[in-house]
Amino acid sequence: MERRMVFQDREEFLAALRDLAREGVSQKRIQVETPFHVHEVDEILPTKPAKVKNFALLGAASGTVTGFAFTILTSLSWPLIVGGKPIVSLPPFVIIAFALTILFGALSTFFGFLVLSRLPSVSGFVPKEEFGNAFVITVEPGETE
Amino acid sequence: MDKHDKLARVEQDVLAAMKRPGIGYLAALGCSATLFLILLGLWGYQMTTGMGVSGLMNPVGWGVYITNFVFWVGIAHSGTLISAVLFLFRARFRTSFNRPAEAMTVFALLVAGLFPLIHLGRTWKFYYLFPYPTQRMLWVNFRSPLIWDVFAVSTYLTVSVVFFYVGLIPDFAIVRRHKEGLAKRIYGVLSLGWTGTRRQWKNYNQLYLFLAAFATPLVASVHSVVSWDFAMSIIPGWHTTIFAPYFVAGAIFSGTAMVITLVVPMRKILALDRYITDDHFESIAKILLFTSLIVSYSYIVEFGLAAYSGNPFEMEQFRYRALGDYTVMFWIMISCNSLIPLTLFVRSLRRNVKYLFVLSLFVNVGMWVERFVIIVSSLARDFDPYAWGTYSPSFVEVGITLGSFGLFFTAYLIFLKTLPVLSITEIKEHL
Repeated sequence: MERRMVFQDREEFLAALRDLAREGVSQKRIQVETPFHVHEVDEILPTKPAKVKNFALLGAASGTVTGFAFTILTSLSWPLIVGGKPIVSLPPFVIIAFALTILFGALSTFFGFLVLSRLPSVSGFVPKEEFGNAFVITVEPGETE
Repeated sequence: MDKHDKLARVEQDVLAAMKRPGIGYLAALGCSATLFLILLGLWGYQMTTGMGVSGLMNPVGWGVYITNFVFWVGIAHSGTLISAVLFLFRARFRTSFNRPAEAMTVFALLVAGLFPLIHLGRTWKFYYLFPYPTQRMLWVNFRSPLIWDVFAVSTYLTVSVVFFYVGLIPDFAIVRRHKEGLAKRIYGVLSLGWTGTRRQWKNYNQLYLFLAAFATPLVASVHSVVSWDFAMSIIPGWHTTIFAPYFVAGAIFSGTAMVITLVVPMRKILALDRYITDDHFESIAKILLFTSLIVSYSYIVEFGLAAYSGNPFEMEQFRYRALGDYTVMFWIMISCNSLIPLTLFVRSLRRNVKYLFVLSLFVNVGMWVERFVIIVSSLARDFDPYAWGTYSPSFVEVGITLGSFGLFFTAYLIFLKTLPVLSITEIKEHL
């Protein structure tokens, strides 16, 4: 049987969460919904840090590589000397690579967030029940129950 | 009042702004939309008739359009400063300003992006600027500052839009709860189905932190790239190493003034005094004063560089700027950007919101004029006296400039009625 507790007060909510953690209820069974981020929840139910950062690193790195590869290869594909500069003029290419690093990094971080948070969730567009400013703990049924 | 009522009150107060608009709002929207329509009309006239209807000529081929481009890109910068940099510094007063400032960034960039297109004359050829495999397999010249601009500004716009949207996601979920029918569905889709679970918050916080970190270097880089449109040339008055930091400081200065211009009336009309306090305005005023001092210092350094350059063209350019055909503009610039903001050293003036509003208008004017002085006076007098000429904008350019303000304010007014004007979630978190 699923158990749901709805609190209007943040402290009561945290106390209940602490009790659950002390009782040894498996973390996987505890679902929490809060109107804003409550940092104490992460302390009570310690989890690994989010993995969004991996997407940030991957996106940014691919942006840098793309920026340099794109500018160098297109310049080499039609070698045309402009203003007496070398065909591969790295200083101006740094600017393009810099812009693409940030662009790809930001977009990939956003994408990573969507994937890891299972968003967009169609069922959540208009949820059946909303708790407003309440703090909600849902305990899913365990194997023993 | 207990905590729970406070949370409900924040929602009520902020969402009250989204109620049915009054007559004053509609009048303001009508005026700005009309100005924007004038822009479209004049732009159409210019496209069908030719660039002759603008005041652009030889040697002044960059005039008010490029001035507007630089001005609006600059306005965008302080939005990112407030939303990203102050977030990383954990400056709490940011919560009062970040949403309107981020909206301002997005709208200012949209307006800025219009000006290179208007300036092109043959607007329908704008795609030449994008790197794509043409039939002749000749790619764009990546050594050109104009191509850097395309990359810098389009990256900036994309990242700003993502940052703005991400900040709105939990707030969309709040709006969704307060709406019914079709509006509920629309805000529901915009909220992506956000419910505030532990997993969502954990990922969200990291996303926001990283987006702030990605946006922060843009504050310095985008206007540096814009400044290089000028500094990479050999025109006297443009070809100087101070341009990048000088433009960035100017950008933050003008943008901060625009935030004050927008938020003072917004706070008054929407009765948000509880969330945007005089203390918050004082903090913003300090940023304004600080950047004003940097800008003034840059003015002095510019003259110093010219004086010590031993280059007669450079020295003549700066004499001309201060005393030549555009002397009135130059002294407006000095008064509005360097002298009047010095009054902010007085604490009571920093806390006087009406005074700040009037001052911000002066700074807006001063910074627009600064861009004009830099761009036009250098082109009007370069090397050869035979090639000198003075420029003044035509009615088409003046109309399009006013129209750009129309577009900006139209977008901003629509924002006030459709999106939560303050970050409800963040205010709740800090209660």
